[in-house]
Amino acid sequence: MILHILNRSPGTSLVYRDTLSAMGPEDRLLLIEDGVLGALTSQVRHFQSVEGRLFALREDLASRGLEGRCDETVQVVDVDGFVTLTEEADKTVSWF
Amino acid sequence: MSSSLAANGDMLVILRHAPHGSSWLREGLDAALVAAAFGQRVSLLFQGDGIMALVPGQEPGALGQKGTAATLDMLAMYDIESFYADASALDRFDMAPDDLQLPSLPVDGATIAQLIASHRLVLTF
Amino acid sequence: MASTEIDRYLVVEGREVALDPEGYLVNLADWSAEVARAMASEEGRELTDEHWEVIAVIRDFYARYEASPAMRPLVKAVAQSLGAEKGRSLHLMKLFPDSPAKEAARLAGLPKPTNCL
Repeated sequence: MILHILNRSPGTSLVYRDTLSAMGPEDRLLLIEDGVLGALTSQVRHFQSVEGRLFALREDLASRGLEGRCDETVQVVDVDGFVTLTEEADKTVSWF
Repeated sequence: MSSSLAANGDMLVILRHAPHGSSWLREGLDAALVAAAFGQRVSLLFQGDGIMALVPGQEPGALGQKGTAATLDMLAMYDIESFYADASALDRFDMAPDDLQLPSLPVDGATIAQLIASHRLVLTF
Repeated sequence: MASTEIDRYLVVEGREVALDPEGYLVNLADWSAEVARAMASEEGRELTDEHWEVIAVIRDFYARYEASPAMRPLVKAVAQSLGAEKGRSLHLMKLFPDSPAKEAARLAGLPKPTNCL
């Protein structure tokens, strides 16, 4: 399993498309920084193909006041959870 | 389009930025060269706007800034010879796979996922 | 990259040639065979035909690729131009002790190779 980390919003950057197409069937996607905008209920449709394997960083949601708007299909993790995801992955790939 | 990979290796460098607009492409190539100088087997994937690096006939910038075309020619001297190009980006920019500065294998999304899985280290630029 | 910091001057045929703190030329255009000889003699070395042919190879590499080579590509370039017998690190170590890629680039009036430590 590879952990992909995306820090751009689907509204401003198309990098998320390349990220999704480069993901294997077991791979996970963690949204951080501006990437967490993709976790909002209004945006999460962009990430339908990885439902169940989609994570968002709590700290980045909270700092933007978005914790309550995060879609329920997204698994919210804190920094410790981020570390755990990294440990569980064979490697990580950053997308920006 | 191929789903069988020519090679796996120590490091995959994914180049996602076009020449001249930022230093990302140059930095990615530098990282590849450093790794190769130390004997690592390096593959390059040109993805998204990064395939612009493969357009033939590039020149220095308007202010004389060095481009990356000479660096691409130099890769062979560092034994970097596995090149892959994002097939959907080639389509999008209407670029023919046989008209690229470096002979690159067009790859689809599933193949890109395999490339990422089959290299020990993956760096994106 | 070539440094722009001038550390000292080397006087060659009555002309002052600026060197950076590591002994590389500040202005690459200052290079001449005389400059190379002066740089080498500062280190108590004399340049032989075998040195000059490597200097020619590395200058050609720079002209073509706009960068000074690290050790591996230097070995490869020397092998391509001068044959397998000379395209070996041992040969280059003998001509340019310690760090052949750096020393050959310095004497050839090129920037320090960036991608070798």
